[in-house]
Amino acid sequence: MQGGYSGIGYGLKYQSRCISDVKADTDHTSFITGTLSLREENEVHLIRLSSGGTELICEGLFSHSNEIWDLASCPFDQRIFSTVFSNGESYGAAIWQIPELYGQLNSPQLERIASLDEHVGKISCVLWWPSGRHDKLISIDDENLFLWTLDCSKKAAQVQSKQSSSMLHYLSGGAWDPHDINAVATTCESSVQFWDLRTMKKTNAIERAHIRNANYDMKNNHILVTAEDESGIHIWDIRKPKIPVKELPGHTHWTWVVTCNPEYDGLILSAGTDSTVNLWMAPASAEDEATSERLIAESPTQQADPLLNSYGDYEDSVYGLAWSSREPWIFASLSYDGRVVVESVKPFLSRK
Amino acid sequence: MVEREKTRNDDVPLDDKAKRMRDLLSSFYNPDHSSAPKPPSDYENLDAINSTSFDPDHYMNVLVQKSNLEGLLRRHVEMAAEIKNLDTDLQMLVYENYNKFISATDAIKWMKSNIVGMQANMEQLLDKIMSVQSRSDGVNTSLFEKREHIEKLHRTRNLLRKVQFIYDLPARLSKCIKSEAYADAVKFYTGAMPIFKAYGDSSFQDCKRASEEAIVIIVKNLQAKLFSDSESIQARAEAAVLLKQLDFPVDSLQAKLLEKLEQSLGDLQLKTVRIENILLESNDPSKQGKAFESIPSTGHEVSVHGFAEAIRAYRVIFPDSESQLIKLAQNLVIKHFEMIEQCVKSRISSANFLGALRTIWTDVLLMDEVLSEAALPDFSLEAGQVTVKKYVASTFTYLLQDISDALLKVKVSPNEAAEEHALKLALEASKKAVLQGSMDLLLDFRQLLDDDLGLLVKLREFIVDWVQEGFQDFFRALDDRFLLLSGRKNPSSQDQVLSEGALGEKVLVGIALVLAQLSVFIEQTATPRISEEIAASFSGGGARDYENGHAFASGEICQIFRSSAEKLLHHYINMRTQRVSTLLRKRFTTPNWVKHKEPREVHMFVDLFVQELRAVQSEVKQILPVGLMRKHHRSDSNGSTNSSRSNALLDDRMSRSNTQKGRSQLLETHLAKLFKQKVEIFTKVEYTQESVETTIVKLCLKSLQEFVRLKTFNRSGFQQIQLDVQFLRTISRENIEVEDAIDFYLTRYELRSFHVIVAASERCFDPVPLEPPILDKLVQVKLARSKEQSK
Repeated sequence: MQGGYSGIGYGLKYQSRCISDVKADTDHTSFITGTLSLREENEVHLIRLSSGGTELICEGLFSHSNEIWDLASCPFDQRIFSTVFSNGESYGAAIWQIPELYGQLNSPQLERIASLDEHVGKISCVLWWPSGRHDKLISIDDENLFLWTLDCSKKAAQVQSKQSSSMLHYLSGGAWDPHDINAVATTCESSVQFWDLRTMKKTNAIERAHIRNANYDMKNNHILVTAEDESGIHIWDIRKPKIPVKELPGHTHWTWVVTCNPEYDGLILSAGTDSTVNLWMAPASAEDEATSERLIAESPTQQADPLLNSYGDYEDSVYGLAWSSREPWIFASLSYDGRVVVESVKPFLSRK
Repeated sequence: MVEREKTRNDDVPLDDKAKRMRDLLSSFYNPDHSSAPKPPSDYENLDAINSTSFDPDHYMNVLVQKSNLEGLLRRHVEMAAEIKNLDTDLQMLVYENYNKFISATDAIKWMKSNIVGMQANMEQLLDKIMSVQSRSDGVNTSLFEKREHIEKLHRTRNLLRKVQFIYDLPARLSKCIKSEAYADAVKFYTGAMPIFKAYGDSSFQDCKRASEEAIVIIVKNLQAKLFSDSESIQARAEAAVLLKQLDFPVDSLQAKLLEKLEQSLGDLQLKTVRIENILLESNDPSKQGKAFESIPSTGHEVSVHGFAEAIRAYRVIFPDSESQLIKLAQNLVIKHFEMIEQCVKSRISSANFLGALRTIWTDVLLMDEVLSEAALPDFSLEAGQVTVKKYVASTFTYLLQDISDALLKVKVSPNEAAEEHALKLALEASKKAVLQGSMDLLLDFRQLLDDDLGLLVKLREFIVDWVQEGFQDFFRALDDRFLLLSGRKNPSSQDQVLSEGALGEKVLVGIALVLAQLSVFIEQTATPRISEEIAASFSGGGARDYENGHAFASGEICQIFRSSAEKLLHHYINMRTQRVSTLLRKRFTTPNWVKHKEPREVHMFVDLFVQELRAVQSEVKQILPVGLMRKHHRSDSNGSTNSSRSNALLDDRMSRSNTQKGRSQLLETHLAKLFKQKVEIFTKVEYTQESVETTIVKLCLKSLQEFVRLKTFNRSGFQQIQLDVQFLRTISRENIEVEDAIDFYLTRYELRSFHVIVAASERCFDPVPLEPPILDKLVQVKLARSKEQSK
């Protein structure tokens, strides 16, 4: 598609779905990813972008007994991460710690800090509060929302509270509001639901079918971006849940995942099953809206295309996507065939 | 210096002397020397000799310094002569003065002797005058008495004459009435008025009564005259003036007459209404023109003529009534235009509209003749501008309505048989509505432009602008309407009813496709033709700047429709694939795939899947053209043979490689990669049957693949998927109608379904495929059953 091959590649052995930015690592730009193979031994890879930014180095390789469906790095301790895994029939979730001396060991084992064992159904994800140190964790399965208290030193996690969604709404994922420690959004088949963690009550909902993924805007309060199977990407102001603030066309097939840049306002990345990653510029704040409207009024024919670039150099559907929080112009994407590609969006920022 | 002296002497030898004389005399009689002009500086040393400020020493110095000896000598001679001359002059003067003094003394002496004796004469004269005066006084007193008497007699005679006139007045008035000399009568009566006022109650009572009676008759006659239309205007005007002189309340008369005029105006309007009605009834296009030619020339025009005449008369009669008349006339025009606007509201052909305008304009011109002060043409121009604009706007609205009606007719025929062609019909109808409607519209507007009616000629530029602007806005509105109808856009409040209640789900999906194709049609055919037409007959304009509206810009319209066509097509594809997705989601969430039982038959969701695809096929066939894209869509030209071979390979390999799971998975992945080669699912969709259908099928199969990837299967689950997909493949093969299309269909189904099976095997603990004979058998059973059902 547009542009040549510019990203830095890294191959995983098996198919994989999830990649996460290691936010707590302030010295390096690193990502953590895990494979999804039903019948083979799965692996967790800790990848670091070399200081020159020209290659990806495997910083750690750890075996993981089950296929990994979700993986999230702890935002305040670079050695801790969570996985959701499955052996094909049942699901589990656990918090892991990378062993301290892993560089010297031949086959280092991950240290399991805690198992989030209360789940019965299909676990969809484990959430860390994205904005800093917080001793709580959220895990979401088909029917329930769990709030855990994690004590790393004691290596224990305890259920603090639990709330069941109604039977008809199978939860498929969620996002923790970086601006509000007590607000969580969960996605299900027909809506996005908002929860207050203090009361574990539903506070609000956006009625919208087939939402795959939701992501809070790190910069702007109240802004939530959702990805939907057929109808693309929507940007919502959660105070006005009836009508989206903005609509982006999304992908040719399903839009699988969407993520807002932690630093640049309105910069959104989406990945889809059409094997592309799209970079969007869609400022959602009211002020920008006004200016853009004025611009449109001035030149109706020259409406700016929100799509900045489409990265098409993938062989299979892209399910994993993560911005680096250390170098916010860098993102990592992971296609199903196990290829990690790290790209820089700098050329598109300067154009602005 | 010498030269200067010389020239001076040569030039003014005579003048010099005379001048000096004069100067001397003036200095003698006028001692004020200060006022004398100062000699120029150059001659100071020479001329200063005559001034009071003459300094002899200085003069000598200067002279001695500046002149040579010869000059000095000559100067000396000159001066001596001058002095001599001056002496002579002085002597002459003295002598003359003395002479004059002597003669004056003589005259005084003579006067003194003559004045004696005058006193006596004067006294004599006074005596005589006194006596004359006393005589004249005497005459005066003796005549005074007689003169007084004469004067008295004269007064009495005058009085008697007046009395006589008043006694004669009734008779005279009646005589006047008889001879209809009302003017004289009024003159007489007004003349007698002061007397009646003074003495009417006493001595001339009878007389007054009689003449008043006569005057009443006169007033009556005059009124009758005023109101009778048969009298000449001059006579009526005179009557009005006379009435006014008689102190008759003319204002009420004026009001009455105005009322009458207004009444006739009302009648006129009523007549107009009738005309409009007739017009509306005669919507038969052949009669339209004629109806208009005939009717106004008879009834309407006559009555307007009458009205104009009346106004003319009225103006003459009451010259100061213009403002009222203007108001009246403007009212008439306003009413007229209101009428037309009413008609415009309920759809009216341009011939009728023109006719109505023409009627009004004739009326206006007629009235302008009699009442030019009202500036009726300008006034009606303004009103007409509004009306014509409204007409243009409403015409566009109706066109828009026509098009949406044509589109929405689809739902009117809900029975199955009709539905096969419903979309096609809708497309054809709406295409026709767009093109034919626009052309008719332009034709109508052409008529407006080509007409030589004064009103329209003046509005021509505006009309051109409005038409251009109208088309621009119309297409924008149309685009909006399309998006609304397709359900892509959230309906705004007023249109909600239209899109929600009226449209069934099924039709709605098809409509999106119809709209997409229609947009393409508008972009590629309609817009160029319309812009051609506009360029041909609606160029120019520019009577005002386009601050609010825009001139017709076909490029912009094309762009809008191109993009919305794309949007609509994608929307259609989206809606279709979404339905399949829902289907698939249900299929995949319900069973527990890890504990799936052995496949016994093809799952029924496949039926639904096929049904959906068939629906797409039928819709697409109705709307879109057949494309010539058998091969060029594939980037790898060897795709077809490879893919079929690969399937054979896969089947073959799978049956053999139960034990080599690890290797097989790798191989599968690589195989998949080999055939993916930038899978052309996500290429641009074209407006052809194949392209759209292929895209939808590809997207649906891709969705299937994605759903499979999210699940984990046991062997039986995998086999179920395999069976279902196999059935889909078989069905698709059967659907191939032309040999040419094999390649295309293979691309469409085989490759994608292959990916589905790969995905399923990847997500399976134990990917052992069904034995081909069993697979075949199950597929055949299903095929037979579905055939039976269709029978």
